[in-house]
Amino acid sequence: MGSVYDLDRLIRILRENLNLQLQGYRYHAGRVSWGEINGIADLPLSVEDYVEPGLYRLKEGYRFRHSSVSPKVFLLPSEQVFLYESEDYARVKAPDTSEMRQTALFGIKPCDRRAIEVLDNIIGSKNPVYASRRKSIAAIIVEECLEPNNNCFCGAVGSGPSIEGGFDVAYARLDEKRVFFKYGSELGRDILVKLDLKPAGEREVNEYREKIESTRELTSRAFSRVMREVQENLLSKARDKDLWLKVSEDCVGCGNCNFVCPTCFCLEFEYSINEQNMGVKTAQWTGCLLYTYGQVAGGHFRPELYTRYRHFVLHKFVFYPKQIGLIGCVGCGRCITWCPMGIDLRGSVNSVAQGGVNAGK
Amino acid sequence: MQVSDSLRILRSRKAIVVRVVDEAPAVKTFTLRIEGEHDIKPGQFNMIYYWGIGEAPISLANLPVRSGGSTIIEHTVRSTGIVTNTIIEKARTGSILGVRGPYGKGWPLDKHENMNIVIVAGGIGLAPLRPVIKYIEKNRGKYRDIYILYGARTPTDMLYKYELDNYFKIPGVKVMLSSDVRVEGWSHYVGFVTDLVKNIEVKPEETVSYVCGPEVMMRVAVRRLLEKGFRKENIYLSLERRMRCGIGLCGTCQFGHYFVCKDGPVFPYSEVEDYLWIEGV
Repeated sequence: MGSVYDLDRLIRILRENLNLQLQGYRYHAGRVSWGEINGIADLPLSVEDYVEPGLYRLKEGYRFRHSSVSPKVFLLPSEQVFLYESEDYARVKAPDTSEMRQTALFGIKPCDRRAIEVLDNIIGSKNPVYASRRKSIAAIIVEECLEPNNNCFCGAVGSGPSIEGGFDVAYARLDEKRVFFKYGSELGRDILVKLDLKPAGEREVNEYREKIESTRELTSRAFSRVMREVQENLLSKARDKDLWLKVSEDCVGCGNCNFVCPTCFCLEFEYSINEQNMGVKTAQWTGCLLYTYGQVAGGHFRPELYTRYRHFVLHKFVFYPKQIGLIGCVGCGRCITWCPMGIDLRGSVNSVAQGGVNAGK
Repeated sequence: MQVSDSLRILRSRKAIVVRVVDEAPAVKTFTLRIEGEHDIKPGQFNMIYYWGIGEAPISLANLPVRSGGSTIIEHTVRSTGIVTNTIIEKARTGSILGVRGPYGKGWPLDKHENMNIVIVAGGIGLAPLRPVIKYIEKNRGKYRDIYILYGARTPTDMLYKYELDNYFKIPGVKVMLSSDVRVEGWSHYVGFVTDLVKNIEVKPEETVSYVCGPEVMMRVAVRRLLEKGFRKENIYLSLERRMRCGIGLCGTCQFGHYFVCKDGPVFPYSEVEDYLWIEGV
């Protein structure tokens, strides 16, 4: 057991004893973005997100859950430089990553951790930028949420609210001051030994467990059927055009959902020539909701928006499990929060899974 | 670490254009010489890079040939977008192109020894099947009856016109040609190439079919072949999608749960039957 001030000591141990740079949700000037954490003042400790479909507000509080960014912005940045090649291919050079420091992810959520597992499996070592950034991660510090926001549904996809593996230290805020710590690795145990906290009493352990379970309960209600049935129904309804037209009727194809999604990884390659007369191969984020997704020089494989919205939904719930054995949705709700039309993925999934407008067809 | 990764994964090799053949309106075949080995199989593709402009996925169009310390490969390119337009307009003998690959799964020719093979190609779809024909010609004893069904919108749009006659002369190979539209002097079939499937005479259970062409044509070919009694797992299709990386990292070639670039581009119909008939999946 500890307090928020022990988080400051934890930061210091990671920075000074382990010589790591810390990356995580950084509070600055009234908003929470992604960046380097140098001390407790950088943490979003005194703010809380209020969300509804299509709405995000940061207010005073102590239960910060999400911002529009996620560990994806560190591991798979929106713009990536792969390679420089001369016109005769005699000279070739990759971006210098020698300044890439050993890193601890600090304060990411259990759903974020699952998203990294998804990215590891779908991209792994295939993308050199992802691979080098992923290799730089030496420690993972997770903050568990003891109260969800309105759009959270980690319980329904099994990515939270508690974390059982793949982390070094996890902490949860029982209230504004008290923080419950646990370790998930040898390194994590060593860190907690250094932190020298007093052991949690039975009352505090029970309090933690009760809050985790109530959060699990609240975040498990998203779908009206069990996941296996949801997945079967989604696939069997894939060719029901009327149903998908109805489900996607409010979508404007802006791609916000893709960009805030912690597991959306699609990239568009770009080519240019720089001042040193080197051809540069770069990539930047694209997304399946954007018009060009599926467009080729000679035609278009997904010209209609409903097919692209359908791909977003089917990929997360049906195709990811076939590709990597994991559901690609981690239940963070960002796509719901940052949809300008307030389209609720949970509602879309339920409409389709229940047979929607063409039930029984 | 990343240095070697980037180089290993995304570096293009220098290829020198040694010959350019005009095939059809806006279609050319480029013969490329690459230093060292380039072990590419029929049905696989390379990302062809016009330096500074962009890359396009292009199928292998002839068997690779080792020559001295180099490998000679051919790619047939149709001008459709910025990259292919630039290649068609600017690349000539002596030009340098970048080659990254080989990528994808090709035609499983090894698996199909002692079988009959029915090739169905539409338009530029003959390009990825040409190395199959060349391979069969070289290894004629390994395969039984061969059919080559090839059609284009007009005879002018056909590829490799200078060697189509040779296909007729390969022992045990029956060639059927079609033109979608009636053209003066055309002595072959007028109509869609898929109509010709009804004329083949093989035992379907001992026969595989390799199909490549526009997706709408491939769907019709699948229907005709199934009607003929072909097994789903014996019909192979070479699919096209938006391919940028070639190795499944960029995600834009997804077709259902497949990455066409690494799981394909050649698929047995039995693997894609759930998706092929769904618009935009």
